[in-house]
Amino acid sequence: MQIAGQGDLLTSLIQLVWLLFLMIFILYPNFSQRLQLSYILRDLERKLYGLKRIREEVRSRVIETLRKYSDGNVDLEKEVDQILLSFAITPESMDPYGIVYKLEHIVNTWEDTFEENVRRLCPKADRERAKTLTNLVEVARGIDYLYRVVRHYYLLGKKTSNIYIVLQIQMLMPQLMEIAEAYRQACYAFMQGQPVGDGVGVLAAAKLVEGLEKKTYEVAKDTIVHELMMDGKKLFVLRAAGPGGTVGKPADGIIKIIENEGERVKAIVMIDAALKLEGEDTGKVVEGIGAAIGGIGVDKFKIEEIAKKYNIPLYALVIYESIGEAITPMKESIAKAAEEVVERVKSIIRSKVEEGASVIIAGIGNTVGIGLS
Amino acid sequence: MFPSGRERQILNPLTFLRCLSCSTINSRPFREGDYVFGEVEEKCPKCGGDRMRIVGIYVKEPEQREKRQKQTL
Repeated sequence: MQIAGQGDLLTSLIQLVWLLFLMIFILYPNFSQRLQLSYILRDLERKLYGLKRIREEVRSRVIETLRKYSDGNVDLEKEVDQILLSFAITPESMDPYGIVYKLEHIVNTWEDTFEENVRRLCPKADRERAKTLTNLVEVARGIDYLYRVVRHYYLLGKKTSNIYIVLQIQMLMPQLMEIAEAYRQACYAFMQGQPVGDGVGVLAAAKLVEGLEKKTYEVAKDTIVHELMMDGKKLFVLRAAGPGGTVGKPADGIIKIIENEGERVKAIVMIDAALKLEGEDTGKVVEGIGAAIGGIGVDKFKIEEIAKKYNIPLYALVIYESIGEAITPMKESIAKAAEEVVERVKSIIRSKVEEGASVIIAGIGNTVGIGLS
Repeated sequence: MFPSGRERQILNPLTFLRCLSCSTINSRPFREGDYVFGEVEEKCPKCGGDRMRIVGIYVKEPEQREKRQKQTL
């Protein structure tokens, strides 16, 4: 058989296949998109299995750890699954007036309930351990939510054959997998009470007052302050109480100090970990202006409000790290940065605060594994 | 039989302890219950003192990584 003067049967067959393909592309214009969709779905499915593995690993580690402090009277697996699905509803923002305080109320209630639930499951845990265990369950909740969201978009894209839905989630997957891996590492850190990268602000505050004569007292919930004199200036070094995992209520503490000290407070220096951009060095210390504090924004708002009311300048010192490094065991470069921060804080106090005045230094972050100096 | 890749990647920090008698700093793998600024009853390998203060808990970073960082743009 000869077609268009070509040689053998094989060539003819290849030509036929090509013709068939050409016809498919002409008669079925979505064919290429379908093909691409199936590739993306397969890739997503593989990564989703990876996420599921991490989620199962974290969940089982959490249950295993909680079991050590449980009295055996509760069905831990069932209770943990219930906690993992718990949620808080943010307040209505149609009329934003007073929304910060409404949000604060909801978040406080949610945090207290969360902690109470963990305490109920682990009656054998002491106060510090219960706080760290609460952090641990929060880690499990984070990875569980991440998995459920990715699964939602995967199934939705598959059900509707919508390439644009799966494309968006596929583009985010490398970052999401990085976050998932950070959660996995964080789980081990909180299980054992190891300091994490986010605690560098607290570590710097603790190092600033280490070995100095000071008065220490609780100024707000889970928040302590060290009161001391340095070069004729009164220092209020505020941080969350450790070594259990907590971030405390730094804004409430700062407000209380300013209300007591009044006009004498001439500066607020805030120390916190900050997200670095790719290519920047972990542990780099950078100075700026403003309230260096993360979270949902309630503390930031309250600190800015009181600073404006009393016209107190806000100085910020941040230590660069990635989102993964913030929740995984502290790295050497971050721990070493705390010492540099101490020198920078001293320099700010020397140059910006006059003798006889007061200054607040707030070390922000999670205190897990960092005790009182 | 062999640990999986993911298991190998778990970051294990070191605990750095300062002897309260001779101020020598020693390190050992982190143990549950360690926390920075905590005091522990351990023997100093240098002077034999039995009380140490934890001055740091962190993951040692390999030098190779630092070199690679310097080479980046």
